[in-house]
Amino acid sequence: MDDRSFSAAQDFLLSVKTFWTVDVFTKVKAEYQANIGNLENSTSETREIEDLLSDSATFQYFAWLERHLQRFKYSGRYGINTYYSEKRNTFSNILSNEERSEDYLELTQGFELPDYYRSVDIHQHPGGLWGDEIAGLVYERGARTTTPLMGSAHKDLHHRFTDLALKDIGTPKDILDMGCGFGKSTKPFYDILNESKIEAIDLSEPCLKLAAHDAAETQRKNVKFRQINALDTKYDNESFDLVTSTMLIHELPAKEIGKMFEEAERVLRPGGRMVHLDFYSLPDEFTKFIHYGHSERNNEPFMKGFAELDLHELLTEKGFINISIVPFSEAEGVDPNNHSYWRFPWTLIAADKEVF
Amino acid sequence: METKNIWENKEQTFFKDEALDRAFGVVMALATEVYVLRDRQKALERLLVEKNLIEFSTLDSEPSEKERIESLQDRKEFTEGLLISLLGKQQSRGKTL
Repeated sequence: MDDRSFSAAQDFLLSVKTFWTVDVFTKVKAEYQANIGNLENSTSETREIEDLLSDSATFQYFAWLERHLQRFKYSGRYGINTYYSEKRNTFSNILSNEERSEDYLELTQGFELPDYYRSVDIHQHPGGLWGDEIAGLVYERGARTTTPLMGSAHKDLHHRFTDLALKDIGTPKDILDMGCGFGKSTKPFYDILNESKIEAIDLSEPCLKLAAHDAAETQRKNVKFRQINALDTKYDNESFDLVTSTMLIHELPAKEIGKMFEEAERVLRPGGRMVHLDFYSLPDEFTKFIHYGHSERNNEPFMKGFAELDLHELLTEKGFINISIVPFSEAEGVDPNNHSYWRFPWTLIAADKEVF
Repeated sequence: METKNIWENKEQTFFKDEALDRAFGVVMALATEVYVLRDRQKALERLLVEKNLIEFSTLDSEPSEKERIESLQDRKEFTEGLLISLLGKQQSRGKTL
């Protein structure tokens, strides 16, 4: 496949996704609001909303497009996975320049991936994020267009998160970024915190290789990417001042989320802060219905389990104080409490470890 | 002999008639292909005009047999990309509704 055709096809799919985000979603919501009087009460359960919309051709197209635009984006003739597979030799040579990135990367021989991680091709990434050497590149390319209305401002989301995570805590000496993926969430930290030591961990070897490659290009010396499970990091107790993650929690089964918080609490120093960006705040049943549908349609099997947790109670149980769970504005001008178009329910989750 | 579950990777469906789910996949694939061609054609026409390389009428002439044979593989890939949705099979493993 030539580069121009790939780019044109991906641009077209993004254009359709934007139409879906704005026009199709708006129509579905309007149909729901027009028919809500047919429900017994306005706080109907998601199941009742599904029944209400099941005969709607608009909703059927909404659901179809949500599923299949992602499929076309990754798979098939012009899919990202296909494109990078065809150029495998070129890209794998770049990433295998280990001499350059070895200072930034530590992989674990015989690393065992959790069953839940391998059981589904998350967000319709063929083969998952761990199996193929090019999976990190494929994921990075796909992530550029996760939120169509943001366009190139997508990067800004991580800077906004970084600013909020660092607010009022000065400069942390040691930072742990859990589930760092290909390093998109880690970069704003190591770019601006020259004096901090940043550890970034993930399960995926292909993603970690890409993260280390990108960090090596910056020649910064304050970051290290390691293949470590966030549920059992092996770091010493009280090693970090700040623990972060972005879009990690919803990819964990509900029963594992508590373990991740326990681990964060263990490695935090007294008075340290934990900050996560994820999808949690679902203020009404329609938003919940749309989000749970996204979970099923986009191969995100654990989204619903996370959203249904009593997070405040869980964090309290794990010993955290000053717990804050608030909607997060992913871009300038977006009001998370009053947004007309489809969006992820971005939520900032922060808590502190008590000083005894 | 063990019978393979042919629906193991069955794609999710959203319309009352599953045929429409598959057919709309064909429509989307075709629409993508049309846009790719439009993009390339516009680029090509722009270059032709800028460089005065050929007359536009040359583009309208029938292709040679050699040109047709050379484009055989491209047609094969185009057809597979267009019709793969008819198979209704997941291309990344996930829940089947």
